[in-house]
Amino acid sequence: MGESVLSIQNLSKSFGDHEVLRKIDMDVNAGEIICIVGSSGSGKSTLLRCINKLERQTTGKVMYHGKEVRDVQREINEYRAKVGMVFQSFNLFNNMTVLQNCMICTRKVLHISKAEAFDRAIAHLKEVGMAPYINAKPAQLSGGQKQRVAIARSLCMNPEVLLFDEPTSALDPEMVGEVLNVMKELATTGLTMIIVTHEMAFARDVSTRTIFMDRGFVAEDAPPSELFTNPKNPRTREFLSRYLAG
Amino acid sequence: MGHRFLSIADPTNSFEWMIFLSKKYLSMFLEGTWLTLYIAVLGTLLGFVLGYVIGIIQDLKINQGDLFIKKILIRLIKVVSTVYVEIFRDTPMIVQAMIIYYGIRQTGVDLTPVVAGVLVTVLNTGAYMAETVRGGIGSIDLGQREGAWAMGMSPMKTMFYIVLPQAFQNIIPEMANTFLTNLKMTSVLNVIAVQELFMAAKTVGGNYYKYFESYLVIAVIYFVLCFVFNKIFGLIEKKMKGKEDYALAVEYLDNE
Repeated sequence: MGESVLSIQNLSKSFGDHEVLRKIDMDVNAGEIICIVGSSGSGKSTLLRCINKLERQTTGKVMYHGKEVRDVQREINEYRAKVGMVFQSFNLFNNMTVLQNCMICTRKVLHISKAEAFDRAIAHLKEVGMAPYINAKPAQLSGGQKQRVAIARSLCMNPEVLLFDEPTSALDPEMVGEVLNVMKELATTGLTMIIVTHEMAFARDVSTRTIFMDRGFVAEDAPPSELFTNPKNPRTREFLSRYLAG
Repeated sequence: MGHRFLSIADPTNSFEWMIFLSKKYLSMFLEGTWLTLYIAVLGTLLGFVLGYVIGIIQDLKINQGDLFIKKILIRLIKVVSTVYVEIFRDTPMIVQAMIIYYGIRQTGVDLTPVVAGVLVTVLNTGAYMAETVRGGIGSIDLGQREGAWAMGMSPMKTMFYIVLPQAFQNIIPEMANTFLTNLKMTSVLNVIAVQELFMAAKTVGGNYYKYFESYLVIAVIYFVLCFVFNKIFGLIEKKMKGKEDYALAVEYLDNE
């Protein structure tokens, strides 16, 4: 296992009186594929958003390579350039073509040349099979295509960690497969991934570690072979049986 | 027929009076039209810039970890811009014109009516535009920004490259509206002696005691101006919509 990349320490998050995350401790090592599962409202997405700093934690901290990411815009920007995120609702820039979507951040954040940004964009769009659509606007694509572009867009930044927030939850069933296949491919490249998902088969087959979250706690954190076949926590067992039955 | 109209020397009805007056005072009406356009265009454009600046300021966020001085500064300009917007939206433009013109002159600055007129238009437009821009920014799904933030783009760059281009497109109709309003609102600037269209009509009407006909002339001018600009804005809006289809990049077609 690689060195520690991310370390979430004692992280809590409340919205008003409502405690969404309760004292989360979690270490992420280089190359890990972590799937976070759990029922709706268990805090999975909020945890991911806290890791990307889109949500400010109430207490606790996020450490990146042993250094705390403070709530200072410049530090946050630099950190996010290395820890990207793929959203449930894709969030492609509607005013830009697929190609522009994949070039804007490398150009304006990493300040690489236009030619290099173009090469990167094409290379990653090819990886996800979306290169023919470089001239299309997001509104002209299907959900699965949009998500594949969004993944390519994130990859253009050469991130160290990529966070996926329910990347297939907004997709029609027949499009789920194309996105999961892209993610499976990615998992073989050594990229560190944290994936919030409801796709149990994917979590079981692809992740190196599966985390079950329940009411804001990390209820169980184990290799998928253990978590799915022999869950220790009764809540995990209950959740999985409901999933497998449903 | 046309020849007879142009050589009316002794008008007998209102229509003939309109012809007579517009012929006799052609240069005055033309100058009035020019000044009306000048103030409206310049005032609106600068007002838009001001409106965008204020709209963006009102959207600024403070981070917990920011320097104390930065937090104070942001809060201060936010308060100042809010007060400005509130004052200019809650008072009539005609009163603003009087206060600004006479107020600044009282301090000893030799302000010409035209400059004062442009200034009033800018400040008035800026206040309304600020609200329009704020609404335009708010109409863009938060996900658009989060998508950019999540890749390390700063909030300012996100605003300029992602949010504003989309907001701009959404508020084009409102901007066109504001311009047309301004074109007509310049008429109130006659109270500070700006020689625009309304002032021209007032002067011309007074010469022959033919106010009805004189104001009808400028009504026609205002109407034609607004009508033409309306059509132009319609075309611009259509153009901004962009193409419905896109070309497949055939060179990458094997990649699917």
